[in-house]
Amino acid sequence: MAIPVYVVTGFLYSGKTTFLNSLLNQPGRREIKTLLLQFETGEEAFQRHLRNCNNKSFSKKDLEKQQEQVIQAIYACIKEWEPDEIWIEWNGVASFSKLQELLLAPPLSGSCKIQKVIHIAEAVNLEEMLGRTGSALPEQIANSDVVILRTPQSGGGTAAYQQMRRTIKILNPGVATYRLRGMEFRNLHKWVFRETGPKISSFFLALLCVATLYLLVKPVFSQMPISINTIINVFLGIILQAIPFLLLGVLLSSFIQIFIPKAWIEKWFPKSLAGGITIAILGGFCLPVCDCASIPIFKSLVKKGIPLPAAITFLLAAPVINPVVILSTYYAFGGDLIIVAQRICMGITASIIIGLSFAVRSSKGRVLPAGRFDGLMCSCGCYQDMDSMTGPGNKIDLFFRHAQAEFFDVGKYLMLGSFVASVFQALDTGLSGGIQREAGTAVSMVIMMGMAFTLSLCSSSDAVIARSFSTQFPMAAIMSFLVFGPMMDIKNMMMLSSGFSKRFIGRLIFTSFAVCFTVVFLFYQIGGR
Amino acid sequence: MQIKVRVINPQILLECLCCCLFSALLVYLAGSGKYLSYITPRMKPYLYFSAIVMGMWALSGIRHLFRPQHRVRSIHCLILAVPILLMLLPHAPLGVSDVTKNYSGGGSLFNLSGTKQSNDTLDSGKTAPADVQPASAEEESSSTLPGLDIASKKITVSNEDFSIWLAEFDFNGKQYEGYTVVMTGFVFNDFEVPKEDEFVISRLAMTCCIADLSPTGVRCIYEDASELNSEDWITVEGTFSIREYQYGNITREEPLITVTNIAPSEPVAEYVYPFV
Repeated sequence: MAIPVYVVTGFLYSGKTTFLNSLLNQPGRREIKTLLLQFETGEEAFQRHLRNCNNKSFSKKDLEKQQEQVIQAIYACIKEWEPDEIWIEWNGVASFSKLQELLLAPPLSGSCKIQKVIHIAEAVNLEEMLGRTGSALPEQIANSDVVILRTPQSGGGTAAYQQMRRTIKILNPGVATYRLRGMEFRNLHKWVFRETGPKISSFFLALLCVATLYLLVKPVFSQMPISINTIINVFLGIILQAIPFLLLGVLLSSFIQIFIPKAWIEKWFPKSLAGGITIAILGGFCLPVCDCASIPIFKSLVKKGIPLPAAITFLLAAPVINPVVILSTYYAFGGDLIIVAQRICMGITASIIIGLSFAVRSSKGRVLPAGRFDGLMCSCGCYQDMDSMTGPGNKIDLFFRHAQAEFFDVGKYLMLGSFVASVFQALDTGLSGGIQREAGTAVSMVIMMGMAFTLSLCSSSDAVIARSFSTQFPMAAIMSFLVFGPMMDIKNMMMLSSGFSKRFIGRLIFTSFAVCFTVVFLFYQIGGR
Repeated sequence: MQIKVRVINPQILLECLCCCLFSALLVYLAGSGKYLSYITPRMKPYLYFSAIVMGMWALSGIRHLFRPQHRVRSIHCLILAVPILLMLLPHAPLGVSDVTKNYSGGGSLFNLSGTKQSNDTLDSGKTAPADVQPASAEEESSSTLPGLDIASKKITVSNEDFSIWLAEFDFNGKQYEGYTVVMTGFVFNDFEVPKEDEFVISRLAMTCCIADLSPTGVRCIYEDASELNSEDWITVEGTFSIREYQYGNITREEPLITVTNIAPSEPVAEYVYPFV
């Protein structure tokens, strides 16, 4: 039987020893033979009150220089003491995978198994720590089952706690976080031993659910006007269409993050607002990316420190004005160059105005919730190998893994968005046509923009859909569909929420809507056809 | 140091498997042509590109297969697993009625009154003699365009060339005025105001993916059009011309076939892909 191992991680002075003092000396543990291995010597020493608890310390130097001896020493302790449980206080600057290597190395391998990993941190200074201390800390957090955030006994720290909770959820989605005021370790036992953590089986369970749901739902829905068959077909169609472009996007964005140093961008990217926006427009014009691809690129641009107005201009302009879209618009409207020109001009105008609006009133609060992290410290788990990263081979490997992590990260929102869009398409009953008949230009524009938002079409195809509306809607409404649709829709909103604060996304959607509406409306009022 | 015990990292293994399967699925779809039910032929190279990227991910995963990891995640793999599963579960490609019933092109409300009437009337087979030749490429002669016979002023549009001719009619329609056109499609009657003597000889066109599947075709003038069942497959023969139509304040020249002959036809399962 493998001995269960409990690991406590956290930076120096985060309260690990205090935590262990409190937990291991609880009267309820009198019958459990415990071995405590300490890889850190902090201010406070472990105080043994119960006789069943033995401890052994190793210094950071031992760990680095004499790994072999450390392993042998641990093995000897286990042999001699035969503990029921092993507790490990792990050094805050040592990589977590190192501990795993220790435990997997013979003769220890097989004799013990990590059961729970508990991370303790002080909410107030955690963010600074994360920004400063390299890869060990985020890796430890990402590997934790429970994160305990301490706030001052005297009260306060709620804002910091909330903020850090979000950061931790990005590093480690689904982790249990607790707030600990001062040093009142009251519910510790409950927190630590609660069953948590994702399992590999949940994947197969979920897959089974999807299959069962499909088989159950199909006969039920065959009686209803909504066709499951249509939903599945449309969903697969959108996915197959979008995935290549999403891959292109994540590869490009991963390339920017890994191979282009921040200093290079800082040196070459225009400092002035006008210059930045010009570059953004040109970039959008040259890169054949649709909205699925522009969002990951936007994310990495923001992380690399490109000014927000320029990055936003790129995000919004690229899907409207790139060559593929221009071509598809040209074909869809039977070679009508005026419509193509209008779409490009209004797309550029609207995205510049939206970008500028973020320059005039800069975004309050944090745009990227992960704040001060380096770009690589995302949820991708790539930091494990960061320390040993040298040579082009490793860099290429990191490039692939980072792209993959980003794909999985953004992909779930693409899936959700496509699913919602495909249900909407299957539901569409043509009601829109009935409503707008009596309505004026403004109302039909709002209807078309709402439709663009919910249908979430790929920007390289929406021109055709727009064309099919053109007999029923005035040209202004069609144009608002063409300009607003690629910039913002359900799918984009979902994908953006993988990295940006709700507040920022809300503001972006609202501003885009208002600006697109105004630009198109004014254009057609003043002198368009 | 002695031999390290290697424990397979289940998360990486699962990621590798999903990427491999997805890559294989993409190659299968592209190779067998089954992808055409979802996306256009233009996307074929992109599918291979995606398959290669997925394959690379699977390979790079092998490098990390034995990396120890305490907290194992698996749910994110559903992003690839769910499409694979749905692709494997039985589902039929979309047909004409799937699309026209909830055709997002709007106007279905107005269309309903027209369609419902005709649904109860005569079957098109009874009204039309069946002596139209099937479309063939035999008459291909003087031009590069398949099915064009300048000598006898006749255009036989085969099922494969539907979109080529549609584009040709749209862009260079003028030079074919007076030609006899034979083409196969389904009856589509989606006008703002139902018309007694008009229908559109249509096929389902996919511009980007199945989400934008919509009927596309040539307007036909036929005095008994209201007696045709919407969505029935027919072969029409008629005289080609170009006529101006007014949409609000926009005037558009559109191709038109004045039908002389109608015959029932077998449904064509394939979609058409404009601008490929």
